Amino acid sequence: MQKINISKISINKETILLYVFILTFVFMSILSPSKFLSLGNLQSMASQLPELGIISLGMMVVIITGGINLSITYTAALAGIAGAFVLSSGLGSEATGIYVFITILKALAVILLTGFLCGLLNGYLVGSIGVAPILVTLGTMTLYEGVSLLFTKGGAISGFPLQYQWIGNGNILFLPVPIVIFILFALLTGILLERTAWGRSVYMFGCNPTATLFSGVNIKKVIMFVYIYSSVAAALAAIIMTSRYNSAKVDYGSSYLLQSVAIVVLGGTDIAGGYGKVIGTIIAAGIIQILSSGLNLIGINRFIVDVTMGILLIGVLLLNFFINKAGRKGVMTKQQKEMKTDKKVPA
Amino acid sequence: MRKIIALFLVSLIIGTLLAGCGGGQQTQQQQQTQQQQSGNAQQGEQSKTYKIVVMPKLVGIPYFNASETGAKQAGKDLGVEVIYTGPTKADAAEQVKMIEDLINQGVDAIAVAPNDPAALTPVLKKAREKGIIVADWDTPADTSVVDISIHQIDDKQYGEHIWDLLVKAMGTDSAEYAIITGGLSAANLNNWINAGLEYAKTKYPNLKLVTDKVPSDEKQQIAYQKALELIKAYPNLKGIIGISSPAPIGAAQAVQEKGLQDKVSVVGTALPNDSKMYLKDGSLDTATLWDPAKLGYLTVSLIKDMLDGKKPADGQDVPGVGQIQVRADGKTVIMGPPTDFTKDNVDQYNF
Repeated sequence: MQKINISKISINKETILLYVFILTFVFMSILSPSKFLSLGNLQSMASQLPELGIISLGMMVVIITGGINLSITYTAALAGIAGAFVLSSGLGSEATGIYVFITILKALAVILLTGFLCGLLNGYLVGSIGVAPILVTLGTMTLYEGVSLLFTKGGAISGFPLQYQWIGNGNILFLPVPIVIFILFALLTGILLERTAWGRSVYMFGCNPTATLFSGVNIKKVIMFVYIYSSVAAALAAIIMTSRYNSAKVDYGSSYLLQSVAIVVLGGTDIAGGYGKVIGTIIAAGIIQILSSGLNLIGINRFIVDVTMGILLIGVLLLNFFINKAGRKGVMTKQQKEMKTDKKVPA
Repeated sequence: MRKIIALFLVSLIIGTLLAGCGGGQQTQQQQQTQQQQSGNAQQGEQSKTYKIVVMPKLVGIPYFNASETGAKQAGKDLGVEVIYTGPTKADAAEQVKMIEDLINQGVDAIAVAPNDPAALTPVLKKAREKGIIVADWDTPADTSVVDISIHQIDDKQYGEHIWDLLVKAMGTDSAEYAIITGGLSAANLNNWINAGLEYAKTKYPNLKLVTDKVPSDEKQQIAYQKALELIKAYPNLKGIIGISSPAPIGAAQAVQEKGLQDKVSVVGTALPNDSKMYLKDGSLDTATLWDPAKLGYLTVSLIKDMLDGKKPADGQDVPGVGQIQVRADGKTVIMGPPTDFTKDNVDQYNF
C-alpha cells in the first residue's frame, strides 16, 4: 500500500521538474528565439552539459547510499592530469596517424584506470574500514589535490595531439560527441541502478544499511562498486574536460563539486539516501544548463545568474518538501481511514 | 490549500526568471539608448554598432572594476556596445563556457584576460572560425589564436623604470639595496627584476645588491617580516625594491614601524589604494603600476579600429590613452610607460 503511494509521489517529483524544464526552455526561446534556438547554441549547450551531468550522475549513485563523494572533482583533475602526461609526452608534432591513435587510446586507459584506483581507495575506506563517507572523501579530496599539485606544480599541461580535441569539440552527424557520451553513460547508469541486483542493493542500503546487511547482501562489495562507479564517472568527465580545454590543470571544474550536489538534490534524490532517479538528475542538469546559457545569451549580469539559480534551487526544494508532506499526510489519512474501517468490520 | 502553495511556488520560480530577464532587458535598453546618444553625437556616422566583449579573469575585484570603467567609457566615446562580463571565480572552465555562449550571441569581437591560456585555445579558435575578432588583454593568450594582443607594459622598460625610481628616491646611486619579490617562479616578476638588474649593471655600477631577491609568497605579512630582517642584517641598507603588489606595502610597513622613513627608501609595484597610507607618511616613496582603466579603454578602442579595418601602428596616439608601442609582429601592442603613484597624486586613483 505504502509502496504504491511512494512511487506516485516520486512520479510527481520528476514530472514537476520536467514542467520546470519545459517552461524554462520555452521561456528562453520566446525571449531570444533567434539566438537561443540557433543550432550553434543548442550544440554548445549540448557540449557544455555533459561534464557536469556525468559528475552529477557519479555523485548521485553515492548519495543514494546515504554517502557523499567530496573527492569527485579532484578525482577528475588527477585522472585528467595523469592522462595529460601520456598525451603530451613522447609525441612529436609530426607523429603519424596510427601512433597518435595508440597514444590517445593509452591516455584514455590511463585516465579511466586512475579514476578506478581513486574509487578503489574511497570504496575500501568507506566499505571495508567503515569510516564515514564525508570524512573519507574529505581526506582523499585533499590527497588527490595534493598529488595533482605535486605533479603539475599548479600549472597546466597542454600540447595534446589535435585529434584528441575531437572528443570534446567534434560532432557525430549534428550531435556533439560529449552529449553522445553523456547519453550512453546515463543509459548505463539507469540500467545498472534499476535492472540489476547491484542497483537494488544500492537503494536498499540507502534506506536501511542494517537491514541490508541482515538480508545477506555483501555490503562491502556493493559499496566498493558504488565508489568505483562514482570515480570512473569523474574520469569520464575528465576525458571530456581535458579534450574541451585542450589541457589539464588541477583546478579545472573545481566549481563542479557543490554544483553537482545541488543538481542531484534538485533532481529529487533524497540527500539521506534511498531514493534517486537518473532521469531526475538529467533534467536538473538540463535546467541549470538552460538557465546558465540562456541568461548568458541575453547578457545578464553574472551575479544575477548565480542569484537566479540559487532561488530556483530553493524553490524546487520547497516544492518537493510540500509535495512530500502532502503525500505523507495523504498516506496517513488513508491509513487512518482504513484502520477505522478495519475496526468497524469486526465490530 | 496545498495546491495553492504549490501554485504559488511555481509562480515564484517563474517570477524570478522573469525578474532576472527583465533586468537584463532594461540594461540592454539602457545600452541601446547610450548607443543612440553616442551615435547622435557622431551624427550617425556608423550604421551598425559593433558588439565588443571584454572579459576579465573574474568580475568583482577592484582591479577589474577599474578596467570595466575604462572599457565602458571607451564604448560611450566611440559609439560601440561594450559587454563587460566574466566569471565570478577565476576559473578557466567558466570562461570557456561564457565565451561559447557569447559566440552564439553573435558578437563582433572578444577580448579576454585568460585565467589559463592553454584552456582557452580551442574556444578562441572556434570564435575566430566564426569571423569574430579575438584579442587578449592584461594576460597573454596563445599567440596563434589572437588577432591582437594588448599588454599593459613592456617588461624591460618597467624593470628599468623601477630601478630609476629607486635611485631617485635614495638620492644617490652608490648605496646598498635589497629586492623583495612575490615568488621566485613567477615569470613576469622575474622578467622585471632581470631587466632591472641588467640595466643597473651599466647605468648604476655603484649600486650594491646585498643579497639575492627575497621571496615573500605574495603576502604582505611575510614581506614585512623579511624587510625587518633585512634592515637588521644590513645596517647600511638604503633602499628596498618590492616586486608584486603586496611586497612594497609589507616593506613600507616595516620602515614605518621602525621610523626609518628618511633612511630607507622603498619603491615598488603596488596598487594606489593599498599604498595610500604609506605614501602619505613617506615610508613608501613611489609606487608604480599601470592604470587598469586605461588598459580597458585601450582594449576597446584598438578593437574598434580592427573592426574598422585599421591595424595598430607603432607610435600611434590613442585618444585618452597616449602613445602606444607595437612590436615587430604587428599584433603585440604595449600600452606605454607605467603610471607612478606618489603622495601628491595617489588620491586621484581608486583601485
